[in-house]
Amino acid sequence: MDGRVICPHCSTWNIAGVDTCAQCHQSLADVQLTRKPMSRVEENLLRDRLRALGPVPPVVVGPETPVCEVLDRLVTEKIGCVLVMEDDQLLGIFSERDALLKLNADAAQLATRPVSEFMTPSVETLEFDDSIVFALHKMDLGGFRHIPLYRDGKVAGIVSIRDFFRYMVDDLIATT
Amino acid sequence: MDVELSLTTQLIHEAPIAEPLIVGPDEPVRDVLRRLQELRTGSVLVCRDDRMVGIFTERDALQLMARACREGESLFDGPIEEVMVTSPVTLTQDASIASAIRKMSEGGYRRLPVVDAQGRPQGMLTVSGIVHFLVEHFPETVYNLPPDPKLAPQEREGA
Repeated sequence: MDGRVICPHCSTWNIAGVDTCAQCHQSLADVQLTRKPMSRVEENLLRDRLRALGPVPPVVVGPETPVCEVLDRLVTEKIGCVLVMEDDQLLGIFSERDALLKLNADAAQLATRPVSEFMTPSVETLEFDDSIVFALHKMDLGGFRHIPLYRDGKVAGIVSIRDFFRYMVDDLIATT
Repeated sequence: MDVELSLTTQLIHEAPIAEPLIVGPDEPVRDVLRRLQELRTGSVLVCRDDRMVGIFTERDALQLMARACREGESLFDGPIEEVMVTSPVTLTQDASIASAIRKMSEGGYRRLPVVDAQGRPQGMLTVSGIVHFLVEHFPETVYNLPPDPKLAPQEREGA
């Protein structure tokens, strides 16, 4: 990889020494001052896009859905979270963690209340074509396990730490 | 340091291992749920005389909550022993990070108790702990990312 540098913004390979990325025109000055990726794992995480994790279409519910119905879907579909959406707009996310922290032993009393009362609003999202490291960074900072992904301006998938681990095992540490 | 090498040679204690929450087998489910809520943690180990007999995670809690919506809250009155998962998959302290990732991925676990040779719980390794380990090991790659992929600066700041 000597003589080339990966753009951290769009992952295009560039000739070492150029000032800006040929693809996205972002400055490469910072990248070249720091070290280059030192291992295959690090290089792959920078290069591979989130689509490589095989994002699945999210399970979506409306904001007025009773919370007991949402709990049932989490259980029967064997998933960790649902997205709360209205007219293509992402309003929030409701995960197992929200259930534990906000419903807890009161679940039966709160069963008919709408999910919008308990969801986590202001969800962190990324794009299908963003690097995997962006998702890792967000998950570590926010303590999230799921990140919804946009494609062409619409929420089209969701990735979880589990998808990332599967990718690690399949691609990166399979030989060990 | 080569991350690939460090994944297979570094042991799990290099990753943040959380202090486990421990309860007795007779503890009522309701009290256990409340403690998980207070401590904002996703799992509890059930121990009898220092030995781990089971684990109860937020996934188990979710299933109970879904049932409680239909069958009523009396579900939470019983002892944790009746709803816990017995003999969970564990890690020993000499396990490598790579083996922990593989165990979690294959079993679909988000947390594995770390036990000593006598089966006494020493800590809890979570998926978030492993993600943190990875991020720490790519400090420049990850920490130098702009907060949003589209918000990269056009020019270097400063003179």
